[in-house]
Amino acid sequence: MNRLKLITLLLIILLCALFIYVAEDIPVFGDPNTPPLKSVELFTLEVDPLASLLNQHIVPETLSGELVKRGFPPPSRVEKIPDLEGEWNVFIAKEEPRYAKEEKYYWVKKEGDKLRISRYAFVVRWIEKGLEETAVPNMVTYGLADYRGYDTLGETSVIFTAGVSVILLLRRRSRL
Amino acid sequence: MKDEQRERNIVVETVVRVMIPFIQLFALYVIIHGAGGPGGGFQGGVVFASAFILYVIAFDLAGARARFPESANTIFSSLGLYLYAGIGLLAIIFSSGAAQYLNYGFIPFTSDFYENRALGMDFVEMGIGITVMAITASIFFDLSQKDEKESEKEEEESK
Repeated sequence: MNRLKLITLLLIILLCALFIYVAEDIPVFGDPNTPPLKSVELFTLEVDPLASLLNQHIVPETLSGELVKRGFPPPSRVEKIPDLEGEWNVFIAKEEPRYAKEEKYYWVKKEGDKLRISRYAFVVRWIEKGLEETAVPNMVTYGLADYRGYDTLGETSVIFTAGVSVILLLRRRSRL
Repeated sequence: MKDEQRERNIVVETVVRVMIPFIQLFALYVIIHGAGGPGGGFQGGVVFASAFILYVIAFDLAGARARFPESANTIFSSLGLYLYAGIGLLAIIFSSGAAQYLNYGFIPFTSDFYENRALGMDFVEMGIGITVMAITASIFFDLSQKDEKESEKEEEESK
């Protein structure tokens, strides 16, 4: 019995250590500029021929070629981020009825003599476009009931199934 | 026999009698308010079911069952899910197959596409609220019912 307690204590300490190790990698909650919340880095390119093209709002051939080669949607338009030197938004064209035709998708940033190409995290689009697309100010609700409607339908049916199983197991009468 | 066993406490009964309507009103507020602020179907449904649980704690199970009978409970528990799935199906029906399932924008509540999405979300929250309320109440009633039967059996055995 004493041994079991010791093993349990050791396991709990091990689990705590694991959680601390995992939590180290989680960014500060609510900081929208940390990498996983804002963007996911894809690759880097040489700055020299590209930066001037990007400043003229032209999509460089090298950039779109590299993106398509890696299986990402091809960019359609470049826009300079106002008030920031050496940062650009790259848009893609979409063919969905009734929704925005183009979407802010890549983020290009000049770092030294390299251009860092990143893809915007879904959270960015979620926050920026949610109110406009659903006319609901609550970020959680439009996520729950609209963007992830299938998920919530499944959750509701899980609750329904739980209730029906409790009825079948505990209600020992002929009629329901 | 049950009434003789039960200790009547006037303070508890009066407080519960006053509180239950307000709890139910607050639950409806939470369900409807899900679009504008914190809240939603799951939370509102559980708050609504807590009103029934409070009734059972203060009064007795038979009275709660008389007010919320088993037939209504069974109907409500599936009605919410049907409402949710039906709203999703309406999107396909009204757009004659162009829209995806659960794409509320195509249901013509109003003329505005995005306003339709907000209204569709409200109906979905109501469906979730109804199901969660009925299922939580049903589980609680079933569990407490079994306990009463067992205690009755034990009393019979002891006699």
